[in-house]
Amino acid sequence: MARIALIIGALAAILYPIPLQLQGTTYYQTVGFLVLLTAMLGVGWNVIGGWAGQFDFGPQVFFAVGAYTSALLYVKLGVDAWLGLPVAAAAAALICAVLTYPLTRLRGHYFAISTVAIWMIAQPIGATWDYIGAAQGLFIPVKPRSGVVTSALSLQFAGRTKALGYYYAALALFAVTLALMAWVERSKLGFYFRAIRDDQEAAEGIGIDSRLYKVIARSITAAVFGAAGVLYAFWALSVFPEQVLELNWSTLPIMATVVGGIGRLWGPLLGAIILIPISQIMSTTLGTGPLAGRGIDLIVYGLIIVVIAAFRPTGLLSLPWSHWFRRGRAATA
Amino acid sequence: MAPLLQVEASSKRFGGLLANRDVSLAIEPGEIVGLIGPNGAGKTTLFNCITGYMHPDEGRIVFDAGDITHTRPERICRLGVARTWQVVRAFGRMTALENVVCGALQRTNRIAEARARARELLDFTDLRGRDDAPAATLTLADKKRLEIARALATQPKLLLLDEAMSGLTPMETAAAVQLVRRIHAELNVTICVVEHVMEVVMPLSHRVIVLDYGVKIADGTPEAIVRDEQVIRAYLGERRAAR
Repeated sequence: MARIALIIGALAAILYPIPLQLQGTTYYQTVGFLVLLTAMLGVGWNVIGGWAGQFDFGPQVFFAVGAYTSALLYVKLGVDAWLGLPVAAAAAALICAVLTYPLTRLRGHYFAISTVAIWMIAQPIGATWDYIGAAQGLFIPVKPRSGVVTSALSLQFAGRTKALGYYYAALALFAVTLALMAWVERSKLGFYFRAIRDDQEAAEGIGIDSRLYKVIARSITAAVFGAAGVLYAFWALSVFPEQVLELNWSTLPIMATVVGGIGRLWGPLLGAIILIPISQIMSTTLGTGPLAGRGIDLIVYGLIIVVIAAFRPTGLLSLPWSHWFRRGRAATA
Repeated sequence: MAPLLQVEASSKRFGGLLANRDVSLAIEPGEIVGLIGPNGAGKTTLFNCITGYMHPDEGRIVFDAGDITHTRPERICRLGVARTWQVVRAFGRMTALENVVCGALQRTNRIAEARARARELLDFTDLRGRDDAPAATLTLADKKRLEIARALATQPKLLLLDEAMSGLTPMETAAAVQLVRRIHAELNVTICVVEHVMEVVMPLSHRVIVLDYGVKIADGTPEAIVRDEQVIRAYLGERRAAR
């Protein structure tokens, strides 16, 4: 059953941009790209927030580390995006490990606050460090590419197939992230993260080094954010502090995770599929016309999230879907 | 034979309160030791010091010939001390099996092996059939058994049970006493039980240690302890002792 759903879902995700390409409505491909990017970030955030149970409101720092690392490698050394990506993810994880170790002395709200504090410190650093372009940031020049293969290999798509190319790049990265996190969930790490979430003292009592495993959890989250930052940088063709250090890079994935189902592998995807299109629809309908510029679209968007959160705080995936499905099937039989 | 655990003149202070004062005791391999005392006698503080959740202000704790006075809890567990908690601390959102798997992963990195070991221990602790129940949904008695199974999964040499029988019905208590005896006999684990119910500790323990106001007031066989003047005074008050 789950296998059939997976195959249907994968096929839908692969086929989705093709009719749009034929019609020429590439805007919806970009919406798909944003859904997958948000879902990927959410799957990464789930490791520290959902499994290890530590509220991290500053993972956008590592999104920025990834984006800047790959942009620097490309601009200064001519290293292509796919080669830069593992370096960027590793840099994000390493920097995160160093920054997070002292924070693991803090618990609960204090840990959450400290993650925000690190983000606040990162902002002026990004805005004033000349080597990384200070407030102006870095621009990523598009090199002329011929053919689909070289574009895909260099993660540089332009013109009519830009949205299509980045959609598939996002789909590939999302799929790899999901597969890796599925493996993490079933490994010793997954058990230890959840043990720390449920009861830190009891976890220490059975030999789990809570500080070490919190650092590992957050570093895995950081690696995913770093990798996503690379994708975003090459899509946006620029990296600057106000853009990659934006608060939305943590709030959107966190909201998607919570709405879809915190601590559930597929939760962030479901949340992103619901939230991102709604925000796009709201801004193209309520955000234009006579009500434009008054933020009505954001108010309605916010209300939708509040309603979902109030209706099902454990996330939509926690609804008894399998029960309903079985009953539905029995009724039709 | 060297003692498995040796506490040497351990003192622990919380502000003006002296929770443990100059407590010295030794636990030999293969013993079942009862640690008793009225509420607030400092039993749990002593447990916390032995397991690394607190560190004594003065004194020394030696386990298996190694100094563990300032060692962290996870390290002490790896050395071979496991504990349960007075107020149960099961991993509520994980299943019973997963709880025990977490303990078993201390001695193996392979999930399949940890699962097999966890299943054996759920059988051993009579939690058969509760494998997939979220731990939060278990009864208090089952949660206490689950904590014991999880602690045993780390393959301890010394098991510290902090009021594993309090809050249970008489039948559940009898079953728990039986379980402790089986752990001692079949798994060769040295055990220290904290209880304030005398009726539970006396028949179970080879030796009983009594704490009162943070001080060790008696240490001996159950038969000697029940006749000890100081112990009777601590538990029942002056008038009874005088009689």
